Amino acid sequence: MNLIRSLFCTLGILAATAGLHAQFGGFDLNKLSNTAKSVGKMAKGVAGIGPEEERVIGGSVALEIVSTYGGLLRDEAIVHRVNLIGRTLAGCSDRPDLAWRFGVLNSNTVNAFSAPGGYVFITRGLYALAADDDQLAGILAHEIAHITKRHALKIIARGEFLAGASSLAAQQSKDVRAVQAQLQQFDLGIGKIIDTLMKTGFDPNTEYEADSVGRDLAVTAGYSRDGMRDVLEKLQQDNLGASNQVFSTHPPLKERIRRL
Amino acid sequence: MAALLAVPAHAAYSPGGTAYTKRLQTSLLAEPAPLASVVAKVQYAQKLTVEEVSGAWVRVSVGGNSGWVFAGNLAEQKPSENSDALDHVGVSASDTSASAAARPLAPAAIDYADRRGLKQARHDVEWLVHTCDAIPAADVDTYKQAQKKGEFQ
Repeated sequence: MNLIRSLFCTLGILAATAGLHAQFGGFDLNKLSNTAKSVGKMAKGVAGIGPEEERVIGGSVALEIVSTYGGLLRDEAIVHRVNLIGRTLAGCSDRPDLAWRFGVLNSNTVNAFSAPGGYVFITRGLYALAADDDQLAGILAHEIAHITKRHALKIIARGEFLAGASSLAAQQSKDVRAVQAQLQQFDLGIGKIIDTLMKTGFDPNTEYEADSVGRDLAVTAGYSRDGMRDVLEKLQQDNLGASNQVFSTHPPLKERIRRL
Repeated sequence: MAALLAVPAHAAYSPGGTAYTKRLQTSLLAEPAPLASVVAKVQYAQKLTVEEVSGAWVRVSVGGNSGWVFAGNLAEQKPSENSDALDHVGVSASDTSASAAARPLAPAAIDYADRRGLKQARHDVEWLVHTCDAIPAADVDTYKQAQKKGEFQ
């Protein structure tokens, strides 16, 4: 299968996305799919990331998280519990009607992640560590805060990625290579978010903000204000914070506990 | 010491201050209780004046109406009408507390999975979406009542 044929097969799948108006960093994925049909239509040059774009980005980031962390634990009782607590919290958040989904990653590591659009994940290891609903709520509230504050989206919105994508959109691309480049831009943007979530981590102030917003959210929803703090102290006491598998992408536990 | 310095989120609202609605429709209630009668309904992102605070409940006024709202249904800052408002797409006004069903994994995300060879992850995420969306809002309400969370605390 040559490159052009391969690309058109890929775009053929996109073309099936009726009703999708997903722009990403300046180009419209829906229009990109139309390009597969007509090879000539131009994507809109809007640089913002709206709800549909967020849904596409979030789904893609969620796929990468799930793939990296051993897939999802398909225990409906556990997933039910996590979602009851998660939705109680999310209902009090600044984005109560987002499509919130809470899943458990089948991994013994101790970590939690979120993806734009309402995906929240906690590893099996961290789930087991949470002693009660208050502690579990503290963890989930922290991740919800990352989403409501759009921390992951800001990674690409303020980066050179956005400028590059906008530039591409402005080229009025009419050829397959330009379409392919736009898809590559999309994948690069997802990669950038994944690198931050799983390797470099958010900057400390972003994590502290998620701790603070999450703590307030937990209180508003009726949970203990100390749930997250108790989890962090447990990690510190067990010296789990020293492990590179445990919240390795987060600031030092001692400082987070002090601020909470 | 930290506990003594704690400021509950709803304490951010004080008489004379402002708050905003963040749901498609927010009910103003006659009393600070989740099952109290509805005095009026307020649309999305409306500015409210805070009249009184009682625990997790805030009495607000707007356009000649006054009533109680659970603090978790209010926002301190005005929601973005260009982005947050569209969270409600696919959610009816009468069911805004329900998880937004009918919003599956986006087709372009599925295409991403195919490009990246994430077949198993795609199945997992689609399972999660299905499983989460199958949990009715009534289950969440029952949980909140039993555990005294949210507006039932």
